[in-house]
Amino acid sequence: MENNELQKIWKTFDTEINQKTIDELNLLLTSKTKQTINKFLVILSISILISVGLLIFLAITSLNRQNDLIYLINNATLGIVTIISLLSGLMSWYKIQNNKYNQPLKNWLELRINLLSKWLTGKFSKLYLFLIPLLYVLTVLSIHVYFENKSFIDVLNTEESIIGLIVGAPVGLFVSYFGARKIRKYQLNNLEFLKDLHGRLCNVR
Amino acid sequence: MKSIKDEFLEILSNYQGILHKVSFVYFKNKPDREDNFQEIIYQLWKSFPNLKNHKSIGSWIYAVSINTSISRIKKVARIEYRETIPELPDKSNVIDEISMNESLQLLLDAIYNLDEVDKSIMLLYLEKKSYDEIAEIIGISKSNVGVRINRAKELLKQNIKR
Repeated sequence: MENNELQKIWKTFDTEINQKTIDELNLLLTSKTKQTINKFLVILSISILISVGLLIFLAITSLNRQNDLIYLINNATLGIVTIISLLSGLMSWYKIQNNKYNQPLKNWLELRINLLSKWLTGKFSKLYLFLIPLLYVLTVLSIHVYFENKSFIDVLNTEESIIGLIVGAPVGLFVSYFGARKIRKYQLNNLEFLKDLHGRLCNVR
Repeated sequence: MKSIKDEFLEILSNYQGILHKVSFVYFKNKPDREDNFQEIIYQLWKSFPNLKNHKSIGSWIYAVSINTSISRIKKVARIEYRETIPELPDKSNVIDEISMNESLQLLLDAIYNLDEVDKSIMLLYLEKKSYDEIAEIIGISKSNVGVRINRAKELLKQNIKR
């Protein structure tokens, strides 16, 4: 088969395509834009609602327990970690979503690989291993201590509380780690795929 | 006076063939192609303000279309894997609804068997783009383009003969 024969066959593709009208294209653009905005709003709203809900709870319970210094430290730590996690999480998500497709394939691959590498294998990539248990334990303690109507130290000296924490923590941690690992595994696969493509693009054998 | 959106839609309407072809090359199933087509439109709209940075409208559309399609391959593959583990892909669904001539169908089947990078290079070659344009869209040197085209053509011919 000659080279220009391939191009000739390919040219017949033009007659096979069902061209869309401007109205149809407009409809596709509008619905996709709405979908994307809605997805963004849902994720943003859920993250903010959970975080703000937790922060309000921490503020109210702290005001009611002003004499319990350890409880206040627990809540303050939890509040700071929550705010930092929310902001960094939203920023990372925005960066990942905000792809700059408007460039040559090789540059786009490099940009995407750098971004994902920083996120998945960079300095702070393993921070979630520390943050998940910290957030989990601090939240459980904050809620539990408050509703037990005892001081932080008294609750920690109660046998039931310690047993509850020992039994409950692994279950909650397992669920959190499972979710985090699943997302991470998918993104790592994606990174490998992009690296492989980039490698093939750069290596001329 | 035309709005920016009207101007965009007019360009899109004139160049939509590129979007269809890129989607066809990367996605076998119609729903995936349609999703990809829509995603490309959205990404083009997002990068429309930067169009002036490109030498030609065509190369801008090719670059965005190819990059968008490649970024979606993994996502679609994951969904397909989850939904159809026991079944092999239905060959009759590969070219659906369009009654293509046999040669074109054969050519498309052969292109599907190329890897993602060769697919994009072969597509641009078949679209009769110059080596300069291909180099600009893919981001590799002109000599590299030549080597890759020759190799991809050989692979394509072997796939067609099979």
